[in-house]
Amino acid sequence: MIAPGTEPGLWRTARALAVRDLRMAWRRRGDVLQPVLFAVLVVVLFALALGREPQRLAADAIAVLWLAVLLAGQLALDALFRSDAEDGSLEQWLLAPVPLSWLVLVRVAMHWATTALPLIAISPLLAEMLHLPHDQLPMLLASLLLGTPLLSLIGGVVAALTVGLRRSGILVALLSLPLYVPVLVFGAGSVAAAARGQDPSGALLMLAAGLVAALVLAPLATAAALRISLS
Amino acid sequence: MQPIVRWFHQLGSPPTFDRFARRWSRVFHLAALPVLALGLWQALFVVPADYQQGDSFRILFVHVPSAWMSLFVFALMALYAAIALIWRIKLCEVLAMACAPIGAGFTVITLLTGSIWGRPMWGTWWDWDPRLTTELILLFLYMGVIGLYVAIEDRRNAARAAGLLAIVGVALLPVIRYSVDWWGSLHQGQTIRLLGQSTLDASMQVPLWLMVIATKLWFAGSLLAKARADNLQREAGKDWVQRQFQEDA
Amino acid sequence: MSYLGYVVAAYAVFVLVLAVDALGSYLRLRWALRAVRQRRQRQAARRSASHAPLADLELER
Repeated sequence: MIAPGTEPGLWRTARALAVRDLRMAWRRRGDVLQPVLFAVLVVVLFALALGREPQRLAADAIAVLWLAVLLAGQLALDALFRSDAEDGSLEQWLLAPVPLSWLVLVRVAMHWATTALPLIAISPLLAEMLHLPHDQLPMLLASLLLGTPLLSLIGGVVAALTVGLRRSGILVALLSLPLYVPVLVFGAGSVAAAARGQDPSGALLMLAAGLVAALVLAPLATAAALRISLS
Repeated sequence: MQPIVRWFHQLGSPPTFDRFARRWSRVFHLAALPVLALGLWQALFVVPADYQQGDSFRILFVHVPSAWMSLFVFALMALYAAIALIWRIKLCEVLAMACAPIGAGFTVITLLTGSIWGRPMWGTWWDWDPRLTTELILLFLYMGVIGLYVAIEDRRNAARAAGLLAIVGVALLPVIRYSVDWWGSLHQGQTIRLLGQSTLDASMQVPLWLMVIATKLWFAGSLLAKARADNLQREAGKDWVQRQFQEDA
Repeated sequence: MSYLGYVVAAYAVFVLVLAVDALGSYLRLRWALRAVRQRRQRQAARRSASHAPLADLELER
């Protein structure tokens, strides 16, 4: 039992969980690079399928890049809760003195930092491979910075719903892709709109608003899903 | 007020619900048939052909009610799921999960009739019309709910997890719709909407509302039948089921 | 342009899917009732096979 008055506060638990997650990620550095490798592979496959003309590739570059990041992030979703579910630490989360949604938020943030940030970091290189015009790059990075946390937060709900399932691969994709549609549309669409000279701020604001809403609501839904999955 | 509340409570008990569903699913299905027949007759033969689209606009009378039902059933499914999660009412779990395949069926009808209607108008079997695209995503949401329900072993947890997914889906559905509309307007593609310029005047309203009522009645019948089946499967080991069977046998 | 084929196809889709849905419901019901019946038969067989005097005190699941 935790003695009253000595319970860890929100920030202490957040730091403890964050440090633990980062340390685990550092120990499995190779695993962290897998989403990046997958994204590169996706770009290569698209280039092979589309042909090597620079104009052709540049025309589709935004969509291909967004899809590569989205699909790579989705593959990494399985790692969000699985190892903790397997060794029982997830059930300890349910008993923690801090709100479950807070732990979820910290976990999703760390997951984003270790899977999506490397993807965003490598996106200029991938953009260069697809001959994306240089003036579109800042917009692309902005849309990814706003969109990938949204994808992680929404993906967290789906990961929590399927955490008990053994081989849930395609089911996770089927569940999360419809929910990803607005993020993809506004994310890729903002860059495409800017490329055509239209005003991208509407789409970016939608992403930002969605992100704010998701930061509050998604952890709550994920916590509810965890409680159902672990009951 | 009191007797109504009490009736609801009693309905939550599995044996009472079984008796209720057994009679009323048949009643609703049978009641739907004449309304459906009248609606179909009105839609196909009574209403004059549209001056712009000719006879193909008659497809509206199956396409629009099905589209409305696909959305209505999804919202209802989420509502049942919310009640089941908040108040832990087992029957609402069953009802929510029974909604899913019926709603998916209406979505399929909407997509197929929309595609058939679009063929003479767009020249192709498919156009990324924002409304049809949203229906397609809705179909994936339905399939996700059904898939999740089937994948989890424990029936109660499965229903609650799939129900939570339905709630998340219903919350995101307006966002999805808005984003797809925005996406559709980005590229000024085909702006021929399926409903076109012709606003529905009075003569067209009658068959439309008849079809709306008919589909709702049919849905109620199917919902009760499916819920009854699921209820029986869950409760198969209980005494009341065995006793019911003794009476039937 | 004759739209007859399209109209017929659309209405056929509508009627067909609704019919399949209702049929599916009743088939599922039939299946559930059959499972109940089989369960009863299995329990009856188990009971008569054991002849245990305490059989009716056993928990039924």
